This record gives sequence, structure tokens and C-alpha cells, in this order.
Amino acid sequence: MTAPDAAGARASGGRLSRLVIAGATAACLAGYILIYATGRAGPPIRSDGFSYYVYLPSWFLYHDPSLSAVARDCCGGTFPDYTAIIRWPGTRRWVNAHPIGVAVLQSPFFLAAHALTRWTNLSPDGFTLYYQHGAGLAGLAWTVLGLIVLRRLLRRHFTDRVTAATLATILLGTNLYHYATYDSSYSHAYSFCLIALFLYLSEQWHESPTVARSIGVGLVAGLIVLTRHTNALVLVCLPLYGVTGRSSLIARTGQLRRDWRRGAVAVVTAALVIAPQLAIYYQATGQPIVSAYGSLGFDLRHPHLLEVLFGVRKGLFFWSPVLLLACAGLVWLWRTGHPARGFIAGAAVFLTADAYLIASWWDWQFGGSFGHRGFTDALPLFAIGLAGFLTWSGRRRGTAALAAVAATMVICLSLVQMLQYWNGVLPFSDTTWEQYRAVFLKLR
Amino acid sequence: MTTIQPADEPGRAQTRRWIARGAALALSVAALAGALAYLRDPPWLLHYTSGLRGWEIAADGTRVRSAGPHASLFVPADAREVRLRLRTTFEPPEDGPIVISIALDDVPAERVVLSGPGWREAAIRLPPAGTRRVRRLDLRADRARDGNRAFQLGEVTLDPAR
Repeated sequence: MTAPDAAGARASGGRLSRLVIAGATAACLAGYILIYATGRAGPPIRSDGFSYYVYLPSWFLYHDPSLSAVARDCCGGTFPDYTAIIRWPGTRRWVNAHPIGVAVLQSPFFLAAHALTRWTNLSPDGFTLYYQHGAGLAGLAWTVLGLIVLRRLLRRHFTDRVTAATLATILLGTNLYHYATYDSSYSHAYSFCLIALFLYLSEQWHESPTVARSIGVGLVAGLIVLTRHTNALVLVCLPLYGVTGRSSLIARTGQLRRDWRRGAVAVVTAALVIAPQLAIYYQATGQPIVSAYGSLGFDLRHPHLLEVLFGVRKGLFFWSPVLLLACAGLVWLWRTGHPARGFIAGAAVFLTADAYLIASWWDWQFGGSFGHRGFTDALPLFAIGLAGFLTWSGRRRGTAALAAVAATMVICLSLVQMLQYWNGVLPFSDTTWEQYRAVFLKLR
Repeated sequence: MTTIQPADEPGRAQTRRWIARGAALALSVAALAGALAYLRDPPWLLHYTSGLRGWEIAADGTRVRSAGPHASLFVPADAREVRLRLRTTFEPPEDGPIVISIALDDVPAERVVLSGPGWREAAIRLPPAGTRRVRRLDLRADRARDGNRAFQLGEVTLDPAR
């Protein structure tokens, strides 16, 4: 942040960005109520959301971590194909392709829903009314928490106005709002929050690597892996923080060597958090590390990079064009030596590897989704770039106005397209250019 | 000469803040208590079911709802008896009878064996209402067939009728 920027940030006291957080919370709640009051979506625990959630009734109600008892009660003994919960060849035990992280983060909401279910005398089977909305509102709450953490992170480097505009644009100009409301039981809202928290703690850890901060970083790192295994890639942002060239890379390596004890505390904490997942895999398959998707996997030799980034089917920049501005902002931050530059090396490595991995997945569209949900988790890093872009554009009145108009237009486009998706106008997957053109801006 | 003492402004502001916080806390507790009182056996439970699909007209003209292996529904607590008509989903049953266990507020109440395509009726006597306004019936089948269908439920009748 430049000196005048910093002075402006202090003067405004963060009121505008706080207002945006309050507005975002209200907007998410309003969207959630609209979706379920008008029957735009089925019960929140559905599709992938079912598989992420199913551990909770299994642990707390059926006291059976093998998932067999809940399978009998909900589904007649066999989980439906869409759940990706398969019987492991050899052991015949259930293996869930979706790890336990989301369930762990949903558990406070689940326990509150269970107490209320008992009080009202609804069936305590894990799938009645309060459990459904406990799981649905959990995703919403973690998104809001993610925005709060992101605000604190951005406020360290950018003005309050830039922070406020960035938060609003990231929520409404991408598919984050969709994953906070319509598909809030999926993992993306949780990963968004955890990655924001990880970036925030990483920066603090490098400022002063105390034992408490090491435990905090390790805890969040473990939860990131527990929520979505491939997001382990984002952990490179910790050692790469502050790396801006060869000399800083050497300095960072030296610092990590000197602080190895604190680093070990973080690693051990993360390992302890991940251990229950390995125990579950071991109990089900006889091996602690498995590909829980069975025969489905990555084809690293044939990535669909162009389609994943620009294609009409689920292309990241096709459906969230505002992220192009974020990429421009990341480049600007790198070139100008802005204090937020410390994040860029990690962001570049993670986003590149993540895009390659997503593009190599057998179903690179990630099934039914609004926009490409594989990238929703990484939005905190895009937010830093977007804040950089808004800072650059705010330096001249003409570019500021142009950026405001462009951002408003892509936000409106994104919201209209999201409503199209909610109304069933846009297909859940495999959208063609002809289909896209035929329904462009049509809500019904 | 009389001197005017400066008012104890910080003290008053502090008191006002405490009063406002106390009022907000009292309001929150009252709202929570009201919500909990409403959610104890709320009237909408009588229209709430889980594990049951929508009503459909079967080939024999009866109104039925298909169920998975677990369904629940609610009846008024002041009824003396509730009668449930049940049958298996597919005929002829290809793999032996299906057993339906019925529980009233989590207490086992009845077991029905569905071994043929016809309707079976289960009559459940309800204990005195006590403080409850509605009672929950859980129906659990010992297995489900294709499409997660275990049994069908016909019209539920109450004694005394209402």
C-alpha cells in the first residue's frame, strides 16, 4: 500500500468493507431463502453434498464409521451411484470418494440441528428438515467467515474502498454466491474459507513464527487437505510467501531452515488433523492412501486446458470473466513491487498446477456446476489480484470509471447466468455455444 | 459563587451502553425462548413427512405413497388409534417377504410382514397424549428394492376420525 493509500485506509476505518460483509451476509441469506422457498433446488443434502455429509449421521447417530448402517436406513443397504461411495474390491467395505473435512466443519451445525430435531420430535435419522438446513446453512456461514478473513487479509495491503469493491465483486461476479447458497453443501464454500484463512495465517507466520501460529497454520493446512485432497497444492503458498526472485528464494530457504522447529510443529499438527482420514481409508481398504474414486482418475498427458479456462462448457474465464482482471492485477502487483507481491509466487505456482490438475481430471467439467467449481476454492488468491487491479485502475479517474463499469457489467452478466442456471434455463453441464446463444440473458 | 460540576458523561454513557446490552440480551433470550416454545410439537408437523414420495393413484384406484426403507409421519396425539395400510412395492415379491417395523416416538409398536401383493393393515394404539400435541410414527423396512423402493403406504385413518 502506498503512503496516501495507507492514510486513506486508516481514515476510513474499514467501515465500507464491514458494510459489504453485512450486505453479503444478508444477500446470501436472502438467496438461500429464495432457492428453498420457491423450490428451485431439492433438499440441501443432495448430490456431492450427500457424500460429504453422510459421515455425520454415520458417526453421531448410527455410531458406525463404516457407513453400512446409514446405507441401510437411507438407501436400502446400497448407496446410489451418484454418491461416488463405492464398495472397495476385496474388502467389500464402503469407501467414500469425498473426504471427511466438510463433515468435520459441518459438525457444530449438525449437533445444533440434532438437538432441535429432538426438541421438535422430528425423526432423528440425519436427513429430516433441520439436518438438511443445518448442512445448507453451514456452507453459507463458512463462506461469510471466508469473506471476513479475506477482508482482514486485503485490509493489510489495500484501501478500504478497494477491499470493499473486491469482496463484492468476488462474491457476485464469480460462482462463489452460487456455492454459498444453491450448492452450499458442496466442499467449495469450505475450501474458499480455509484457503483465505491459510493465506492470512501464512503471512502472519512469516512475520513472527510463534508456536501458536505454527499450530494454527498446521490446523488449517490439515483441514484444507481433509476437505479436498488436491488442494494440498495450495500449501506451497507458505514456503513461497515473500519470494520475488532468486535472492529472496535463497533467503526464504535459509529462514525455513532456521525456523525448522516451528515448521515441524505445523507439519505435525497437520498430520494429526489428516490422520483420521487415513485411518478411515485403512479400515475400508487395508491401505492408508488410496484413490477413493476407484478406477476414475487423472489423465495428465491429455489436459483440457483451453476448455477448462475459456470453453463454453465450464471455462473459468468464460463464466467468470472478472477473473481476467484479477489475473491482470496479479501481474501488476508482481511488476510494481506492491507489498501484496509476497503472495504472487505461491499464487502462480498453485494456480498453474491446479488448472493443470483440474484439466486432467477424467470429468474436467466436474459434473453439474455453475461455472467451473474446481476454481471456486482458489478465489482468495484471485481476490488479491483483483484488489491489485482495482488499485491500479483507481489511480486515474478515467480508468477507475472504466473498471467500475466493466466490473458492474460482468457482475450483472454473472448474476443473470446464475439465475438462468437456477431456473433450469442453462444446462447443468455440457452447454454448447448454440445453447448458450439461444438462451442468452433469457431467464425463462 | 456556585461552581458547576462537570457532568459524569463517560459514566452515563457507560451506563447507557450496559442498559442497551442488557436489553438486547433480554430480547434475544425472549426471542429464543419463544422460538423454542413454538418449535415444540408445532402444528405443521401434522403435514410433514420424510422418506415418502408424493401421492399417486395405483392401478386399483387407491391413493398411495411410495417409501424407501425409512419413512416417518405424524399423527395427532389425542387420537386413540391409528391404522396404516401397507403393501410391498412389486408383485410378485421376487425375494421373500419384507418386514416393516413401526415405532411410535422411537418406541417399537408393531411389526408387519408383507409377503404378498395385497394390502396389510397395522393398527397402532396410542398412549394418552400427556403434554404432546403430535406423535411421530417411524416405518422401517428391512430392505429396499430397485429404485430405493421398499413399500407403499395407503391412506392413514385415525380413531376417533377427524
